[in-house]
Amino acid sequence: MTIGHVLTLLLVVPAVGLIPLALFRGDARAAKQVAIVTTFVELLLSLVMLAQFKVGEADFQLVEQADWLPSLGIRYFVGVDGISVLLVPMTTLLTFLSVLYSSGGAIKDRVTAFMASFLILEIGMVGVFISLDLFLFYVMFELMLVPMYLIIGIWGGTRRIYSTLKFVIFTLAGSLVMLVGIVAIWLASGPEGSRTLSLPDLLAIRNRFSAEFQFWVFLAFGLAFAIKLPMFPFHTWLPDAHVEAPTAGSIILAGVLLKAGGYGFLRFALPLFPTGTQLWLPLIIVLSVIAILYGAAVSTVQKDLKKLVAYSSVAHMGFVTLGIFVLNAQGGVGAVLQMLNHAFVTGALFLFVGIQYERTHRRVIADLGGLANHWPLYTTFFGVFVLASLGLPGLSGFVGEFLVLLGTFQFGGVPLGGLFWGPLAAIGVILAAIYLLWMFSRVMYGPARDHYKVLPDLSPIEVACAVPLLVLTVLLGVFPQPAIAIIEPSLDRVLRLATDPTFLVALR
Amino acid sequence: MTDIQNTLYPIAPELIVAITACVVLVVDPLLPRSSARVWLPAITVAGLVAALAAPRFAPVTGLYFGGFVNVDAFTTFFRAVFILLALFGTAVAPAYLFRKQVPEGEYYATVLFSTLGAMTIALSTDLITLFVGLELMTIPVYVLAGIQRRDRFANEAALKYFLLGAFSSALLVYGFAWLFGITGSTRFDEIAKSLQATGIANGPTIIALALITVGLGFKAAVVPFHQWTPDAYEGAPTPATAFMSVAPKAAAFAAILRVLVSGMGPLAVDWSSVFAVLAAVTMTAGNIVALVQTNTKRMLAYSSIAHTGYILAAVAATAAGPSAGAAVLFYVFAYGVMNLGAFACLLYIDLEGTRGATLDELNGFARREPFGALAFAIFLISLTGIPPTIGFVAKFLVIQPVLDAGYAWLAVVLALNAVLAAFYYLRVVVHMYMYDEETGAPLLVSSRLLSLSLGVSALAVVVLGIVPNSIYQWALDAASPVLP
Repeated sequence: MTIGHVLTLLLVVPAVGLIPLALFRGDARAAKQVAIVTTFVELLLSLVMLAQFKVGEADFQLVEQADWLPSLGIRYFVGVDGISVLLVPMTTLLTFLSVLYSSGGAIKDRVTAFMASFLILEIGMVGVFISLDLFLFYVMFELMLVPMYLIIGIWGGTRRIYSTLKFVIFTLAGSLVMLVGIVAIWLASGPEGSRTLSLPDLLAIRNRFSAEFQFWVFLAFGLAFAIKLPMFPFHTWLPDAHVEAPTAGSIILAGVLLKAGGYGFLRFALPLFPTGTQLWLPLIIVLSVIAILYGAAVSTVQKDLKKLVAYSSVAHMGFVTLGIFVLNAQGGVGAVLQMLNHAFVTGALFLFVGIQYERTHRRVIADLGGLANHWPLYTTFFGVFVLASLGLPGLSGFVGEFLVLLGTFQFGGVPLGGLFWGPLAAIGVILAAIYLLWMFSRVMYGPARDHYKVLPDLSPIEVACAVPLLVLTVLLGVFPQPAIAIIEPSLDRVLRLATDPTFLVALR
Repeated sequence: MTDIQNTLYPIAPELIVAITACVVLVVDPLLPRSSARVWLPAITVAGLVAALAAPRFAPVTGLYFGGFVNVDAFTTFFRAVFILLALFGTAVAPAYLFRKQVPEGEYYATVLFSTLGAMTIALSTDLITLFVGLELMTIPVYVLAGIQRRDRFANEAALKYFLLGAFSSALLVYGFAWLFGITGSTRFDEIAKSLQATGIANGPTIIALALITVGLGFKAAVVPFHQWTPDAYEGAPTPATAFMSVAPKAAAFAAILRVLVSGMGPLAVDWSSVFAVLAAVTMTAGNIVALVQTNTKRMLAYSSIAHTGYILAAVAATAAGPSAGAAVLFYVFAYGVMNLGAFACLLYIDLEGTRGATLDELNGFARREPFGALAFAIFLISLTGIPPTIGFVAKFLVIQPVLDAGYAWLAVVLALNAVLAAFYYLRVVVHMYMYDEETGAPLLVSSRLLSLSLGVSALAVVVLGIVPNSIYQWALDAASPVLP
C-alpha cells in the first residue's frame, strides 16, 4: 500500500485527534478511545511509511517540501533515511503503548488533558526524527518540551514540581543555546537572500564553515543534545524527572525523548561540522565512558527501583554517544541499534516498575521481595527485559552494545585509543549484570510479604502492552540483520561526511 | 474641497481617533449610567475599527502638512499595532471598570487620546511632532495609572510615574534642543544629513545623544531608568496596566527608530555598542528581579522590562540592516499581543481585596477556569519564547541581526535570559495547573467579551507562530523607510 505525503500525514494525524478530544472535553472514556484510535492509526501509518522505504539507499526518501518563511529561506522540509526510518515507528509504537497502558486505569484525573498532551508530544517526537530543515527541527524539538512538562508536573509523584521545572530549565538552557547556533549557521550559509537552513543545502556549502566557527557551533548544538541525551555531567535532571513522572511519561521520556539527543548528533552535528567533531571528540569519548561506568556504579547503590532504571539509562546512553563518536561503521550502527534497544527495553522496564508500583505502592527495593511466586507472568516478562537490558546474547541489548564495543576497540583516535576505552566500557556491561540481577533477585525472590499475596498478576491490557516490546526485543536480538541493512547505507554516508578529509577545514 | 481631502485623508485614522475620544467625553455625561456601560465601549470600538479601516480604501503615502507628517509603511504598521492594542485594551475592560467603579467615560477617552499620541509619533518627521506625540501619549497614561482615585497605591503609582515621566521628558526636550543647536534643524532627514557632514561624534553631539537616550530610555523602561514601571503597573487598574505595558513601550520604540535610527543614524557606531550593553543589562536585571516576585502583576511588570531589553538588542544591531528593523517591529507586535493578553488574564481573578493576584491565588486556576488558564498558559509560553508561538519567532528574528552585527555575546546573553524567564513564567503555569485550589481562594469573574478577546488573541499567538510569514513580510516592508 502506498500513501502519498505519508510523512506530513504522520504530523497531521495526532493534530486531527485533538479535535474530537476538545469536543468530548468532559468525557474521560471518550478521550481514552479517541487517543487510542489516533495513536493506533499513527502507528499503522508509520508502518506503511516503513514499508514504502527503499532499503539499501543512503539518501533521504519520501521527501516533501514547501515554502514556510520564504523571505528567510526557511522551508517545511521532511524526509527519512536509514537512521530515522526506524526511529519513527519506534516512537509511534511507544506512544500507542503508553496511551493504551494509561487508559487501563493508571490515569484517573484530567484524562482529556493527559491524552491531549500525549498527542501534541507525538507530533513533536515524530517531527524531530523527520525534519530536514533546522528551523523545523528546532520547533519540533521544543514542541516536545511543554507536553512533557505538563505530564510530569500534573500527573507525577510528590516532588513532581521540582522535577518538572528542573527538566524544563535544563532542556531549555541547552536548546536556546542551540537556537543561537542555528541562527549562526543561517547567517553563515550565504549572502543575504540566499540563506538556508535545509540540511542538504547546508551540506553542500559546509566547507564555508571555518574551524573556529565549527568549534563554537558544535558546542552550541552539542550542549542541547548532551542535555537531552543526557550525557554526564548534564544528567542530573534525569533521575528526578523519571522518578516523579507517571509511568507513561517515563516510558516516553526514556524511550523517545533521550533519543532525540543522539539522533541530533548523527543527523546534524557530525555531518555539518566535521572539524568541530574532531575538536570535541576526545572530550565526548571520555564523558561517554564516564557515563557508562558512573551510571552503572550509581545504579548499583540505588535504593529506589525507578531511580535504578533511570541511572541505567545514563549508562546505556553512554554507549550511544561512544558508538557515534568512535566514527566507524560498527560503532555507528551499534549506536542506532542501542537507541532502538534502549527504547524497547528501558521503556518496558519503566512499564513494569510502574505496574508493580501501582499494585504495591512501594518503589524502595528493600520493601519488595518474593513477587515471583505470586506473579508468574510478570516475573517472566520482567526477567526477559532485565536480561535484555544487561546485554544477554540473543536479546536486543547484546547486538547494540557488542557492535559499539567492537567499534570502540577499532577506534584509533586521541586520547589513548580504543584499546584503552574498549575494555573500560566493557566493564560497564559487567556492572550492568551485577546491578540488574541483584535488583531482580531482591525484588522477585525471597520471602513474600503477606499483603502482596493478594495482588493480581498482569491484566490483559498490560500483557498487550508488554508483548509487542518483548517480540521486538527478541527479534532485534536474534535477527538484527534487516535493521542493520536499513541503517548501514545512511550511516556510512553520515560517517563519510563526518570524516571526509577534503572537508576537514585546516586546524589553526 | 479637494485640497482638504488631499491633506486630511492621509491622517484620517488620527482624526477619527481624536473625534471618537471627544465624542466619548461629550456623550458620557449625557447617558444614564446603565446605558453608558454599553455605549461607551461600543463607540470606542466602532471608532477604532473605523480608524483601522479608513486608510484601506485608498492607501496614500508621502509627506503632508508641509512635511510635518509622513505617511509611509512604517506609519501604517505602527498605526495598526496601536489601534489593535487599544481595541484589545477596550474589549477586556467593561466588566472590570463596572466592578471597580472606575469612571468609564474618562477611561475610554484617555485610552483613545494616548493611542492618538502614539499614532502621532509614528507619523512624525520632525522633533516637534514627535515630542507632541510623545507627550500626548504619556500624559493620558499618567491619568490611567491614577484613575482609581480612592486607592492609595494608584495614587502612589500615578505620582511616581508622573514625576519621573516629566523629568524624562525634560531631559529629552533638552537633548532635542542640543540636537537642534548642533544641526540647525528639527527635521530627521536634515539632522541626518548634517550629522553625516560633521562625521564623527564630538562633545556636543554626545551630550545630545546621551540626553535623548536617557529620555527615550525612561519611556521604554530601559534599566537603569525603569524604576517607575513596577509601581505604575501594579497600581493602575488591570485593563489599563495591560494597555500601558504595551502601547507606550511600542511607541517609545517607534520614537527610538525615528529619532536615533533614522535621524541620528550616522552616529550609529557611537550609540549601538552602548545600546548593546544597555540591552544586556536591561534583560538580565528585569529577569532576575522578576524571578523573586510572588505577585503576578509585579512579575509581569518586571518581565516587561526584560522584553524591552530583547527589543533593544535588535535596535543595537542596526548595522545588520533591514532585518534589525524588521525584528524590532515584529517583536513589538508579538510582545503587544502576548503581554496584553497575559495581563488581561489576570482580570479573571482581580477582585476587591486582591492586589494583582499573588501566585497562591492562582492555585487550581486551571480547574476553575480551564479556558482562561489555557489562554494564560499560551501567553506565558509565548513570552518565554517556546515554539510554536509568535514569541518564539520574535526571539529567532531578534537573535539573527544581533549575531549578524557581530554581537555574539549578546545573542548568548539573550538565550540564557530566556531560560531565566522560563523559570518564572512556567512557575505561573505550575500554580495554575499543578497545585490544588486553596480554601478561601478569591472568586472568579468572567465576562463573555473578555473570554472572546482572550480566545482570539491566544489563537493568534499560536497561528501566527506557525505561519509568521505575512507579519514578517509586513514588518520588513515597514522597517524599510527608517532602516534602508
